[in-house]
Amino acid sequence: MAVDMAAHMSPVALFMQADLVVKTVMIGLTLASIWTWAIIIGHTMKLRRINRDNERFEKDFWGVEDIDRFHEKRGAEDLPAAKVFSAGITEWRRSTKGPRVDKDGTRARLMSAMHSAAGEEVDRLADRLNILATIGSVAPFVGLFGTVWGIMRSFTDIAGANNTSLAVVAPGIAEALFATAIGLFAAIPAVIAYNRMTHGINRIEARLLRFADGFHGTLSRELETER
Amino acid sequence: MDRAEATGLGIAVVGHGALLAVLTLGLANAVVLPTMNPPMDVSFVDEVGLQSAAPDPATEAPMASIAPETGSPEEAAPKAIEAPPEPTPTVQPKALPKAKSEPAPSKTATKPAPPKALPKAATSNAKANSGKGKAEKTKGSRLGSDFLKGLGDDTKSKSNKATGAVMSAQAASSIGSLIKRQVQPCADRQGTPGPGAERITVTIKLRLNRDGSLAARPVSTGTSGVDDQNRRYEKRVEELAIAAFVGCSPLRGLPDELYDVPRGWSNFTLRYKPS
Repeated sequence: MAVDMAAHMSPVALFMQADLVVKTVMIGLTLASIWTWAIIIGHTMKLRRINRDNERFEKDFWGVEDIDRFHEKRGAEDLPAAKVFSAGITEWRRSTKGPRVDKDGTRARLMSAMHSAAGEEVDRLADRLNILATIGSVAPFVGLFGTVWGIMRSFTDIAGANNTSLAVVAPGIAEALFATAIGLFAAIPAVIAYNRMTHGINRIEARLLRFADGFHGTLSRELETER
Repeated sequence: MDRAEATGLGIAVVGHGALLAVLTLGLANAVVLPTMNPPMDVSFVDEVGLQSAAPDPATEAPMASIAPETGSPEEAAPKAIEAPPEPTPTVQPKALPKAKSEPAPSKTATKPAPPKALPKAATSNAKANSGKGKAEKTKGSRLGSDFLKGLGDDTKSKSNKATGAVMSAQAASSIGSLIKRQVQPCADRQGTPGPGAERITVTIKLRLNRDGSLAARPVSTGTSGVDDQNRRYEKRVEELAIAAFVGCSPLRGLPDELYDVPRGWSNFTLRYKPS
């Protein structure tokens, strides 16, 4: 009997026994779980690469003599630091190409241009995190909904069967609880990943802003010595 | 969707498929059945026959020794006079003490012993007869020829009383298993209420008519073998056990002569383990 029960506890069997509503919930939660893990894996790889490349880019940047040449060579890279750098250079060229240069205005424009570039990059990095947050907070409720529905249905069945033996009661409830299990299975990694990635993106943002401030300082000194 | 996200999606799909396959194949949910120590099935016997059905031991008095007692010649001297008449093989055991207790002048008269010893006091005569008395005693114990009397026909005639009419422990046990065997088909039809329920033993009190039908609905007077796992099935097991007895009565083939003897099966209590 126990072995028989174990066979019925397999995920596929639980899914096949379930009600249409519970089936929908299970499918939805499974897709949510797949999506969560896709985002987790993809974003972890992306953040690691961006961290590494940003670090290399900054190191290279602080080592160069000719910023214009460096911009020609590396400014087009698809990298947050490169974007911030090229936003600063573009703004610098735009502000200093006229005969008269408003130093304070240039400084303010440089700062805002680089900050907005950094903000845009961070937004781009973080755009999938809201999905993780949503799955993390909603999946348990969706699973719970499936469970409640399934238990309601199995109680109706029990009342119809006129038999309260465990063999009648257990499968329906197990199948209903399976929905909550999938919900938690999707939600727990999503919440953990959301917190981790928010932390990682905050660090990237802080680093970008420090880089922007440093570059702004360089450009600002340049502005004073040139004119 | 860039390359990293596509990779992530692929890995996630493959991972979920693998997890599903593992769970479906049952690698992750190997069921460990509770060990139940099956080798020995011990059932406590509380149904003991208080009356023994074994044959009564022989009630006759054991044969008394008819041999002269050994002892110092001086003390035994008076008896030495009486000892000689014993050679007669037909002496009854009950007669022997009498012969010993009284002086028995008639018997001593038949003896070859000197007649003058008879009127005299035993003490004065002891020395004269010392040699002879001693010789008689040191010959050891002699048994009468009927020393096996108590083990003969008497014993047989007295022990053949009816033993079947007593509810012995053995009879109670065999009646119990007879009843259980007849109830088993009904119990088999019921199915088990839940895991661990088969370890519960129900004590059932039956009131039966002479034809084997139930005189009253069986009642459960207690259960044993209840543990944390099967506690919630206790009531259900009791109900099922009673239902099995109700469903499979009347009971056939119970020995008629044990119906209304003391502790007979008119009012029978047995420990019943449905499984």
